[in-house]
Amino acid sequence: MASYTKAAQQWATFARAWYLLDAKMQPPGKIAAATVIRLEGRHKPIYHALSDCGDHVVIINTRHIAFSGNKWEQKVYSSHTGYPGGFKQVTATQLHLKDPTAIVKLAVYRMLPKNLQRRTMMQRLHLFPEDVIPEDIEKNLLQEIPQPRAVPRRLDEYTPEEIAAFPRVWTPSFKIEEGH
Amino acid sequence: MAAPSLLRGGLRRLFAGLWGRGWASPPARALREGESGTGGTIEGKIIEDAAAPTPPNPSGQCPICRWNLKHKYDYVDVLLLSQFIRSDGGMLPRRTTGLCLEEHKKIAVCVQMAHRAGLLPNHRPRLPEGHTPKKPKLNRYLTRWSVRSAKPIWKRGPKWCKVPMPVGHPLLKDNVKYTHKFLNFNH
Repeated sequence: MASYTKAAQQWATFARAWYLLDAKMQPPGKIAAATVIRLEGRHKPIYHALSDCGDHVVIINTRHIAFSGNKWEQKVYSSHTGYPGGFKQVTATQLHLKDPTAIVKLAVYRMLPKNLQRRTMMQRLHLFPEDVIPEDIEKNLLQEIPQPRAVPRRLDEYTPEEIAAFPRVWTPSFKIEEGH
Repeated sequence: MAAPSLLRGGLRRLFAGLWGRGWASPPARALREGESGTGGTIEGKIIEDAAAPTPPNPSGQCPICRWNLKHKYDYVDVLLLSQFIRSDGGMLPRRTTGLCLEEHKKIAVCVQMAHRAGLLPNHRPRLPEGHTPKKPKLNRYLTRWSVRSAKPIWKRGPKWCKVPMPVGHPLLKDNVKYTHKFLNFNH
């Protein structure tokens, strides 16, 4: 705003940006919610549904997503091939082991608005099971989207000083009994 | 109660080389070291423990009330939960820890959720042979039911009466919330 030329300002406003999102230990629903906002372009003040102002989103580590509750066992993904007897149902575990990007892809697809632009927006979504990204995509990345869920620390990730600084909440009291 | 001469809260006694005849198994909290000093002599030292800090509310009945943690802990607070578990991951009995019944249940539930989330990796049950336990391939958190017992919901139902997928545990519904979001136990 301060000293940009009009052309540079115009370009910065309307250019298509590339965002990175790390899905490690994140629930796929919240990942999808953050992605869909960027894919539609709702994070921009110039948003309009018809003006195709969505950005690219690259999601890495989709193999390491974390479901809350028992959804790995309980959530079922159904599809029908169109042929008789072609109703297929797979649990989230089976689907994830077969294709580690499928769960996030389906979550984003189902969260996008159900119009003709959904397919274009899905083309702007790039999913990678690990953190290995092709070089040309890596060069395009502009900014990282913050992770929706705060990942808790494991017990072995605490330093011994922190563990010692935490007070003992209870102390065992042994009773010395005569004759034992 | 075969634990004579083991005083806590001020004194601790180091035993060296005394196991075998007196006890079937050594007390879990005692320290064992090799023989110090010259070979053949057994030394016992009395080590003064650091005094435990006074809790903010000494008139409480259970440790949670004494430290004003009544509705303030979750499955994430591993430093607190690890004080109530054994080295193989099981809960310590209530008569040892001094917890009241509802807090003991809440802590048990939080410990279960922490185990399933993989936050307590070193508190695993001891396996006798050299059988390496397989690493869980899937990350999870706030799991209410055990992994083996949960069955797939093949038919979830129409939008107005879907079968819910439970998350978290209703025992923790009174926990302090710092956001105005509604705490949903069914997704």
